[in-house]
Amino acid sequence: MRCFAFHLMPWDRLPADFDTRYETAWTWLPNRLYDPQHGHTLYNRYLDELCLADELGFDGVCVNEHHQSAYGTMPSPNLMGAILARQTRRVKIAVIGNALPLYNPVTRVAEEFAMIDVISGGRLIAGLVVGGGPEYYSFSMNPTHARAMFQEGMDLILRAWTEPGPFEHYGEFWKLKYVNPWPRPLQQPHPPVWIPGAGSRETIELVAARRFGYMGIPYFHIDFFQRNFDLFREAAQKNGYEASPYQLGWLCPIYVAPTDAQAWEEYEPHLFYFAKQLLKGLVVLPPGYTSVRSIAGIHSALSKFLSTVQTRQQVEEGAYAIVGSPATVRDKLLEYGRRLGVGNLLGLFQLGTLPADLTRKNMELFAREVMPALQAVSHAPLPTPLAASGWSVPS
Amino acid sequence: MSSPQTSFPQVAGTKIQLTVGGEGPPLLYLHSAGGETEWMPFHAALARQFTVYLPAHPGFADSKGLDQVRDVADLAWHYVDFLAEQRLGPVPIVGFSLGGWIAMELAILRPQLVSHLVLVCPAGVRVPDAPMGELFIDDLARLRALLFHDPDHPSVALAMPRSLDDPRILHWLRAREATARVGWNPYLHNPRLPKHLRRITCPTLILWGQHDRLLPPRIGQFLVEQIPSAQLEIFDACGHMLPFEQTERFVTRTIQFLTATPGRA
Repeated sequence: MRCFAFHLMPWDRLPADFDTRYETAWTWLPNRLYDPQHGHTLYNRYLDELCLADELGFDGVCVNEHHQSAYGTMPSPNLMGAILARQTRRVKIAVIGNALPLYNPVTRVAEEFAMIDVISGGRLIAGLVVGGGPEYYSFSMNPTHARAMFQEGMDLILRAWTEPGPFEHYGEFWKLKYVNPWPRPLQQPHPPVWIPGAGSRETIELVAARRFGYMGIPYFHIDFFQRNFDLFREAAQKNGYEASPYQLGWLCPIYVAPTDAQAWEEYEPHLFYFAKQLLKGLVVLPPGYTSVRSIAGIHSALSKFLSTVQTRQQVEEGAYAIVGSPATVRDKLLEYGRRLGVGNLLGLFQLGTLPADLTRKNMELFAREVMPALQAVSHAPLPTPLAASGWSVPS
Repeated sequence: MSSPQTSFPQVAGTKIQLTVGGEGPPLLYLHSAGGETEWMPFHAALARQFTVYLPAHPGFADSKGLDQVRDVADLAWHYVDFLAEQRLGPVPIVGFSLGGWIAMELAILRPQLVSHLVLVCPAGVRVPDAPMGELFIDDLARLRALLFHDPDHPSVALAMPRSLDDPRILHWLRAREATARVGWNPYLHNPRLPKHLRRITCPTLILWGQHDRLLPPRIGQFLVEQIPSAQLEIFDACGHMLPFEQTERFVTRTIQFLTATPGRA
């Protein structure tokens, strides 16, 4: 199993009266609460934490895109990817992802991803994403066009990477007389494509059909991950192949300390700051964003979302976060990894208010005493159709 | 009076849901974003004097065709086709909220099809100093407080689902999607509509709830200034859901206006 360090770059200083005074940490949270001086410290600290993952032997680092939110202060993950391309030496840089409908023209994604890939020497994992629900409010983008725009954007980006330019594109949402991006990506025919999903059947079936990677969006009960990964494997079979574990990623908060008791004592307040403050008011499903049937299904899963969880026992039962001694965390991750059939673990080692010293200790202990056992688990390599479609496994 | 009948005729090759009831001359009722496509008490009351046509817009209830809709003009053209297929027009149109917006667009596009307009808290126009509320929220309790002057009014149960477990939730989600398709951005308005309002020449009655927090009554003031033969009436103790909250007054005023005012022939 490959181990990635995922960073949300959260805002860690909400006012004491946040609970009563503000309805949400998203979209409408007044931006006077953002303090640029503290932001300077935070950005540089968070980048250091991703550079540390490179030094510690992680397989990759992950960044993502959110707008107008205290949950994640990373409106441009490509800027972070560009910095990491220079400041890391070894790790895969997974930008998961760019919310395609927010880019105009969408060929900017093909350009910027190719830049990161070329600068980093072919270390980019290209995440393409429909965009989280709140993004459609923050950018006033029509969510009823989300799926169709994503589909058109994804097809166009892959064409731009693989077909000689210039060529014309006259689609429903973008009309471009000359598509001819410079640079082209270093990885050929194109960087691996990962697509995060919240469990809608549309996304699962699309990713399986295209033979890309599917990353399960976190904070749901472990049973919901299981359902989604099982659906993915079924969808792969319908498309005539066996899904590889390397096509699946499990995103999960992780905290390791010398003992279970110490881990919980250190981690609990930060986990619940995240669950109660930063997830507050997350509108997951704006109208038309996904089919009515999928919305109804996800609404029922949302009744078991991390933001509804109250106790440590519930966290452990639903595997919303994996917390404990190295032995506890190792055993749980091996067991859940096997059960879910995933080849990529995307760990959140910093969450909410978790401070720099605890984050570093967490990552160091994980890398020394947990990660080797996970990385020793090898899966069957990707079948040829996947390799042929641009998927690559790090050596 | 016979009971209302629901059928599924074709409009330009697309199946729609149409309920027709009542006796008398025809009246076209264009429903709101909430999708009141079931026969409501105010439909029944209007049907005592009119044959009320209650179609569901594309994407609402069992009407198909949302894939053909990109903006509100597509809905106006849809009703041009609808009136032709039903051999109606000129007809009085009562349009509530989203339906009022479509009615204005239709009256501009095909003035000869519209004899009178009754615009009930219509969407469609943005007035800079009258910010609109956020309709596309998930929290049904907050939505109720936004739409109703009295969130505990008995008609709330008729107008919207109370929880995500309500069996009407799938219809409600479809209604939201179909509304967002034309009303997400620009938000519940067409920036080009104000300069065309002068083309609405039929007699027009505009009704507004004094406490409408979704679309402030200031918008009604703007409309009555721009539409040549319009009058505005503000209902006190009333929010956005005017036909639900003040059914009797709404029906009385509408019938009075339609019967006393000669329409465009």
